[in-house]
Amino acid sequence: MSSATKASRIGEELWKTRVDKVNAELVTLTYGTIVAQLCQDYDGNYQEVNKQLEKMGYNIGMRLIEDFLAKSNVGRCANFRETADMIAKVGFRIFLNIAPTVTNWTSDNNQFSLVFDENPLADFVELPDDGRAQDELWFSNILCGVLRGALEMVQMQIEAHFVSDVLRGDDTTEMRVSLVRYIEDEMPPDEE
Amino acid sequence: MVVYSFYIFDRHAECIYKRRWLPRPSSVVASKSSRPTSEASAPATAPPAILGQSARTTDDDAKLIFGTVFSLRNMARKLGGEDDNFVTYRTSQYRLHYYETPTNIKFVMLTDIKSPSMRVALQQIYINLYVEYVVKNPLSPAEHPGGVGVNNELFEESLEQFVTRVLS
Repeated sequence: MSSATKASRIGEELWKTRVDKVNAELVTLTYGTIVAQLCQDYDGNYQEVNKQLEKMGYNIGMRLIEDFLAKSNVGRCANFRETADMIAKVGFRIFLNIAPTVTNWTSDNNQFSLVFDENPLADFVELPDDGRAQDELWFSNILCGVLRGALEMVQMQIEAHFVSDVLRGDDTTEMRVSLVRYIEDEMPPDEE
Repeated sequence: MVVYSFYIFDRHAECIYKRRWLPRPSSVVASKSSRPTSEASAPATAPPAILGQSARTTDDDAKLIFGTVFSLRNMARKLGGEDDNFVTYRTSQYRLHYYETPTNIKFVMLTDIKSPSMRVALQQIYINLYVEYVVKNPLSPAEHPGGVGVNNELFEESLEQFVTRVLS
């Protein structure tokens, strides 16, 4: 059984048995409100909005990983490919009930894309029609931060960014994830 | 069975929570020589040697324990492969139980030597107490330098209950 099918099964099982559900529209509207508020606070500086969303996601991810581990009880992944399947088929499944496709691996197995067929964060959304948001705002950028925060806690430093978004008129919504390095265990500070 | 103490270490090797259930005796064992010897004559009712040496503070205990589990765990990995880890060790006076999450949070419990494996209990503490009351507490910081956020009432009380009701 490939690690993707195995991960799908775990995700399915957890979604059915361990996850408290909330109304999807509540999530969509809450998230939309946050983004709208940020756009207002930063006066349409979308680079800054992207950055803030990523940062919020990072803080969420650092906690979410513990909930993920407590619910799923899975161990450490053997390699980055397994990690990718775990994120797509278990992580996204239990928290957003979606399972993005893992694809476009580089030959060194250190970079992949997540392609989102559906994205509950972006339902009902139209980007502001100011001629810039379409080119500058990554509406779901919080997800990049969530992945960075979560993976940092399990000793992986990664970099994630969106490369396309259907909200901008692209054909797909795609996030690129790159492994920067595995983080070494921290040693206790030296005694004098 | 008796639980002597409980420690949590975070991924920065810092002790973010410690709890002892037996008071540290106030008098130093006077006859103790400076040379390390095994305490063969400790009375059966006395707390184990690791709790009995009052010259050390609880902070020192925590550091010693961290050093021990850190080295043991690294050794287990070297010999048994990346996924291997040690579960418990036992001396003539106490038994140390160990559980580590993939996020490198280490849970350590010291009990008497007759106690059964506490691995599942430690995992339960992680899942049902730590994640619920510390991680999911929106007002506690994401990391806990100096134990900030871990020492909240809900967590401490439910830990107390867990240890006194469930484990005894």
